[in-house]
Amino acid sequence: MKRSLKSFVGRSLFVGLFFGAFLGARASVDDAQSFALQAAEPYVKEGFQVREDYWGGDLGIGEKKAVRQQLFKGNEYWFWMGTEVERAKVSVHVYDSEGKLAEQTDGWEKGHFAAAHIIPKATGSYFIIVAVEESAEERTHWALVYGFR
Amino acid sequence: MTLFVKYLHITAVALTGLTLGAQASQAPQHIDVKQFSRKVEDVVVPLPNEVFGALNKLGSVNWKDYVRSNRGNNFTERPRIALILGSVIADGFIAVQAKDAPAVKDIGQRVLTLSKAIGVGNSITPHAKAIIESADKNKWDNVRAELDRTQNSVQQAMNEVHDQQLSQLVSLGGWLRGTEVLTSVVTKNFSAGGAELLHQPDLLTYFQDKLQAMPEFNMQLLKDIHGALVEVKPLIDVGSQHISPESVRKINEITTRLDSAIVTKE
Repeated sequence: MKRSLKSFVGRSLFVGLFFGAFLGARASVDDAQSFALQAAEPYVKEGFQVREDYWGGDLGIGEKKAVRQQLFKGNEYWFWMGTEVERAKVSVHVYDSEGKLAEQTDGWEKGHFAAAHIIPKATGSYFIIVAVEESAEERTHWALVYGFR
Repeated sequence: MTLFVKYLHITAVALTGLTLGAQASQAPQHIDVKQFSRKVEDVVVPLPNEVFGALNKLGSVNWKDYVRSNRGNNFTERPRIALILGSVIADGFIAVQAKDAPAVKDIGQRVLTLSKAIGVGNSITPHAKAIIESADKNKWDNVRAELDRTQNSVQQAMNEVHDQQLSQLVSLGGWLRGTEVLTSVVTKNFSAGGAELLHQPDLLTYFQDKLQAMPEFNMQLLKDIHGALVEVKPLIDVGSQHISPESVRKINEITTRLDSAIVTKE
């Protein structure tokens, strides 16, 4: 499920190409990842370093997936989720290792983009729960990237 | 302004507006984590500078004390080269923390040499060039991003030729060096907050599992690393307790020993 990306600029270029010429082509997790990066873009200017690695896969409507990530107290993290299915609704939330909601209140969801913000109170493993809430597709590709500062 | 740059600006502006007008759905305050697998897979191993950044916020660190750029002798064993490569990339992040441009440039060259030795040099050349150019201009954020891209490209190139295990060793090499430096900094000036950064039991389990799944690499070094991780695990897997100064010192001894073993011929 874990994926890699070539480069942020390369992917941004890919997003451009996607809008211009790729709409009718076969969708993939890579496309979803381009949208996740698109959601991350404004935060780079605020000093967040967006990781090259990312998670991805596909989910049915109402299906959830958990990924675990080591987070460090003292840092601030954003997780950005995206899908190429434009009429889909996705969500992402962060829980601590005990299952308690651990995110800040300024997370957001807008159609096929969603983001969660966490300033960890403790160093350790956290659960990031991604879900496809609505979609016109039976299975919806998703990708999750994260950044820290 | 090119059309592409304009496009990116429009996208950024649109998304900034989007975040202002969007709110997250009501998420449950609590979930049953037992329903999710306890097995740690698909891990994105944190970059050394994620830890270093958190450490910096606890107090100033004299990063120059930890800069080195003389790693990587002539080895032929690919697992060892992969470990050294991860370690050298971690050294790159340390040199960036110290804003030591000559060391960063030297490390950029070294990363390229090691990548060539392991057969993935072609994908690294542009990154090494970008590291050196950015260091020349003191563009430290660019160097950090490029080091992440370098590690990612190395691992992607390895994965493409079904060398996932070597790819995992690159991550492990970086983690070991990062942990060695973290424990050294915290040993010198102990704080509970600094020690807490070692609380990474799931990552340790992840690396242990990966090492166990590499029987084809019948190397004493890998067995030693696995044994060392077994030693470290109880020292950091302390639940809500504090990690003691003695534990930090012991982990530093272990990781320093391994760091030396990685560049010592058997």
